[in-house]
Amino acid sequence: MNVSRESPDLLPGTLDLLILGALAHGSKHGYGIAEHLKTLSADVLQVGESSLYPALQRLLLNDWVQAEWGLSENNRRARYYTLTASGRKQLRTERGEFDKMILAIQKVLHAT
Amino acid sequence: MKKLFRRIRYWAGSRRAKADLAEEMEFHRALKQEELERNGMSAKDAAGASRRVLGNTLRGREEAHDVWGWTWLDDAIRDAGYAFRTILRTPALSAVVVLSLGIGIGVNSAVFSWIERFVLRPVAGVDHPSEFYLIEPRSESGSYPGSSWTEYNDLRDRLRSFREVFASRMAPFTVGEGNQGERRTGLFVSDNYFSGLGLKPALGRFWRPDEASERRPAAVISYRYWKAAFNGDPKVLEQTIRANDQVLTIIGILPEGFQGTALIVDFDLWLPATLASTMFPGTRELEDRGMRSYSMMARLRDGVSREVAQAEFANVMNEFARLYPESNKGFGAEVLPYWQMPRGPQRFLATGLMVLQGIMLVLLLAVCGNAANLLLARAATRSREIGTRLAIGATRWRVARLLMTESLIIGLAGSAVGVAIAMWATSALRSVRFTMAFPIYLETFVDWRVLLFAVLLGTACALAFGTAPALQLARGDVQAKLRPGMGVAPQKRLRNLLMGLEAGLALMVLLAAALFFESFRDTQTLDPGFQMEGVLLTGYDLGGTAGHIRSDGSVEPAFSRSFATQLLDRLREVPGIESAAIGSSVPLDIHGMPLLRSFRVEGRTENSDTPDRSLVNFVTPGYLQTMRIPLAAGTDFAPMNDTTTPAQAIVNEEFVRRYIQNAEPVGRRIESGRGSFVIAGVAKNSFYDAVGEAPIPIVYLSYRTQPRTAGDIHVRTRPGAELLVANEVRRAVAEVQTGLPVFNVRTLGEHVQNNLLFRRIPARIFVVLGPLLLFFAAIGIYSVVAHNVARRITEIGVRMALGATARNVVAGIVGETIRTIAIGVAGGILVAFTVYIHVVPGGPIDPTIFLGVPAVLLLVAAAASWLPARRAAGLDPMNALRQD
Repeated sequence: MNVSRESPDLLPGTLDLLILGALAHGSKHGYGIAEHLKTLSADVLQVGESSLYPALQRLLLNDWVQAEWGLSENNRRARYYTLTASGRKQLRTERGEFDKMILAIQKVLHAT
Repeated sequence: MKKLFRRIRYWAGSRRAKADLAEEMEFHRALKQEELERNGMSAKDAAGASRRVLGNTLRGREEAHDVWGWTWLDDAIRDAGYAFRTILRTPALSAVVVLSLGIGIGVNSAVFSWIERFVLRPVAGVDHPSEFYLIEPRSESGSYPGSSWTEYNDLRDRLRSFREVFASRMAPFTVGEGNQGERRTGLFVSDNYFSGLGLKPALGRFWRPDEASERRPAAVISYRYWKAAFNGDPKVLEQTIRANDQVLTIIGILPEGFQGTALIVDFDLWLPATLASTMFPGTRELEDRGMRSYSMMARLRDGVSREVAQAEFANVMNEFARLYPESNKGFGAEVLPYWQMPRGPQRFLATGLMVLQGIMLVLLLAVCGNAANLLLARAATRSREIGTRLAIGATRWRVARLLMTESLIIGLAGSAVGVAIAMWATSALRSVRFTMAFPIYLETFVDWRVLLFAVLLGTACALAFGTAPALQLARGDVQAKLRPGMGVAPQKRLRNLLMGLEAGLALMVLLAAALFFESFRDTQTLDPGFQMEGVLLTGYDLGGTAGHIRSDGSVEPAFSRSFATQLLDRLREVPGIESAAIGSSVPLDIHGMPLLRSFRVEGRTENSDTPDRSLVNFVTPGYLQTMRIPLAAGTDFAPMNDTTTPAQAIVNEEFVRRYIQNAEPVGRRIESGRGSFVIAGVAKNSFYDAVGEAPIPIVYLSYRTQPRTAGDIHVRTRPGAELLVANEVRRAVAEVQTGLPVFNVRTLGEHVQNNLLFRRIPARIFVVLGPLLLFFAAIGIYSVVAHNVARRITEIGVRMALGATARNVVAGIVGETIRTIAIGVAGGILVAFTVYIHVVPGGPIDPTIFLGVPAVLLLVAAAASWLPARRAAGLDPMNALRQD
């Protein structure tokens, strides 16, 4: 429920996909994921930080990511998230479906 | 599945996971702060801004934790812990509620364990015990004589509705060598008996097809017999025993729990039915279609209903009636659940148990009403706490759940106490020993079904008594709850309603208790019409005696008669024995006395709508004298050796009153299927089937002309010395008939007490339960009144300041309570009375019970409300006004 309230601009379920996508190029901690999304989307996608962590727990529960404590760039204890094999698979399927949906939406919009 | 595993792993380390989450969110915030500082914000502003960006981290953490789906469990555990502390904060009140619930649940579970044994698992020791049906031919007169061996064999393959039809018949055996004979009860069974029941031997094996014939007589024995007579020695297999002068090889031991297929009768040995003519030489029971003594049983095939099976059975029986009119004319067919066996006393037993269970459930309901009231009283004192909870954001559902958790814990604690009580009660019943003509073994246990029953009752109770306080607290205005002095919104009406209801329910149980107790007291105080003390009873049965069996399986009458004559002559010479006689039935037996079928009294035209009915007992001359039943007219029977006097009968006064009226009874004739009898005398009425029964007509017939195969030897001696002559009786029997065992040796007093078991047990239960229930009711009423008074303390102060006396105040409070209770009591009497009239039609209506019990309850209610009222009235008015 928090996803829709905190970032009404995101389609439901998109946050999970974005996080998986952010982790596709290597493990990151929570702040890193948020920064990654912000930077890449040129500040368009502002992920509500407070909804980031429930989403990460959801991914942990589904075994799509793994969490491990490590050291950050400036030598502080940080929790890094890594994609698992099933997470990669999930990313592929979800990305495919997302592309299809975007295509469909575009078709509808261009038709008018 | 893996997901569940991850959930569980998360839950196990949830404390750690929460700390991790907190740490990483703080890390995130710190980085955010640094980022903002880099962008030129001051450290202080950056810290605040970073916090705003992350939002409510506590809620974020909660939401993250919620993802794992354990919130409900965390809440439940927290609720339970809190509920425990609340319960323990008022130990006295909680103890009363838990204890009273425990007693209510305990008695219900105990009764349920008996019902379970009789109705749900009537065949002990087999799988699916409730699936067995009896296949019963019904005679024209409505009796259930069983089927004959030939009939069974014809039916066995024809009835398609059943899986495997098997048959059995009870038979007493004399087991042992020479003089050492003892009576053992056995079953003649069809070869598919054990497979039909789905039994496997505990040791050894069952019969092979060739062993079912007489060439190699082989027996299967019960586990208990094996333990008792053979010390549980496995070498007993292939050993032999002598029964009815035949050598039997023991080939198998039955599993421990199995005791046979005649309800609670406990059997020792099982023989193939084909051995009947070997064990009872001369009997034609295997060939004669008219000799009905076998009970047929089976399980229904899948998808076949009882009605369909019965219709099929009825078709076949109609065909048999045409084919074999001599043995089957007028015979109908019935298929009954096994527990409804139409022979023996279990019909009353099942109904009696249901009534008992009903009463106990009412008792539990009364206890629940009480608990609800006590908890309401406590709820009132907690409204401020609940108000605070609601004010800081708890949902009403959440608060209600917290309160229900409390009730549930109390209810389950009640279940635990109840199970302990039920365990004690069932083991107490197990220790009761029965001595009856056939040994009876009745075991009830607290098994998982009883446990489940107790837990369900506890939960149901929790819902029943927990809903009212929970609703009351969770509902209503938060502001009002928080306002000092207001307490909860007035719930007086609800509490009074509960109090009245509880009083009414309690009254119903108390009335039942009084009736049960009274019926038992009757058995101890009413004159039975014979003298109970000083009579020794000894059972004997000539049925297993070799060499005197007629072709129809019965014993030669001459043999029975000469045995009785010789035995009594011998006994009368024994010093200390005042008189001796034999009777085929003993009064006040749980099986009741047999009926004399279709008889006609000389000079009477029978009303065809209500045929004449009379009990019958076959006795030797001297019976009435031995029992001390006085003769009102005429004389005793002619002596046994008299061969000239025609067959005689003695009737009782009730028989005369109903069927002879004012005419002269002595010398009048009675015609029956058994012959023609001249009335020799009129005996006074006595009790035959039940203590306290309305007079029943009876006909005594003499052993001289109607000797019986089996009976009880009645010996009168000095009261208290009965058992001293027991050995004399044994010796006399052994002298007359070598090797004939006697059994069921007991005094007449013991016999009557044993058969009163099903009156005595409820009476004992209620002797304890009645006062306890009164006590709980008193506590309930006390608490309601005390609470009402506490709430009205200001009003009382005003009244007294205005000049009301203490007496006025007390009278007002007590009067109000009594009015409420009286309404409940009136309702209770009405319901109890209606039920009583339906359950015991024509039963005596004892005004001391139906008026006395309510009076006692009202008295207790008055006392319980007087105490708190008195205390309120004793307050100084100024003090009362200053409260709050």
